[in-house]
Amino acid sequence: MSHDPPQVDEYVEAAVQRLLTEESDLAEQGIAMIRRKDMLVLSGEVESHRRRDEIVRRVRQAFPDIPLLADIGVTRVDEPSEAEELG
Amino acid sequence: MIRIAAVGDVHMDRDVLGRFRPALEHLPHHADVLLLAGDLTRHGTEAEARCVATEFGGLPVPVVTVLGNHDHHADEVPRLTATLEAAGITVLEGTSVVLDTPGGRLGVAGVKGFGGGFAGRCASEFGEPEMKDFIRTTMATADRLAAALQGLECDVRVALTHYSPVAETLAGEPLEIYPFLGSYLLAEAIDSAPTALAIHGHAHRGSERGTTPGGVRVRNVAHPVIKHAYSVFHLNGED
Repeated sequence: MSHDPPQVDEYVEAAVQRLLTEESDLAEQGIAMIRRKDMLVLSGEVESHRRRDEIVRRVRQAFPDIPLLADIGVTRVDEPSEAEELG
Repeated sequence: MIRIAAVGDVHMDRDVLGRFRPALEHLPHHADVLLLAGDLTRHGTEAEARCVATEFGGLPVPVVTVLGNHDHHADEVPRLTATLEAAGITVLEGTSVVLDTPGGRLGVAGVKGFGGGFAGRCASEFGEPEMKDFIRTTMATADRLAAALQGLECDVRVALTHYSPVAETLAGEPLEIYPFLGSYLLAEAIDSAPTALAIHGHAHRGSERGTTPGGVRVRNVAHPVIKHAYSVFHLNGED
């Protein structure tokens, strides 16, 4: 009996994208999904570490069989180093 | 010279409280005004608006904002707006404000804006009622922006929106979703007045710089795009 990893198909991609946006605990529209051969990569930036962790937790909960790589950063909040001169 | 700080899509909630404050404490060294390009909250609740008020209220420079699509999600716009205004944040929607700065009178006209797409590849006022409603919403918001810009009496005009007026600042987003990210009708409104700069957010994976067909500089200041607390733009204080 075969134990190939589950395929990350278009329907899974669509379902994850809607989950990220429509789940009230997430409400993230800026995360990209990249389908690799046997895994789904989530890529983007969020405003806190807690939000990144919650995205991973909720997607793993909803799709426990899909190997997931979370490549999500927290957007920096440093002062700008210089202004743009627009004349 | 007029110094403008701007950021959008800060998506405040309790977990973000305090993150922007260290950079905001030094805001008067950088800018005469702070513009917020919408999506201040995650869901548009009054509780999240209080977080925005705590983070961006009580600053030593004027703060002017438009709302974004996230700020509409909970259908609490009047309460959200009241909470922001009580914190001294000016909320624009088809309206404008003139601020006296050391570099001259800065006029800011703002609308949230809406989608529809860009020239040659955009939604049309045709077909089902839902489709006509969609593009009529954009037409109406663009008309309000044009009127607000044209009515300003100031030295320098700035247009503030959440949705993008041009496709250039969406580069990096999937092409398929451009019609949900902005409309050329906003650019047409911006070009109907001598506008010096157009600021928007919404496109987290977009690009910083673009221009309208009329040559007005456009800047996407969505927080994930600029990757710091705010951007600063210097404009000459004369038309």
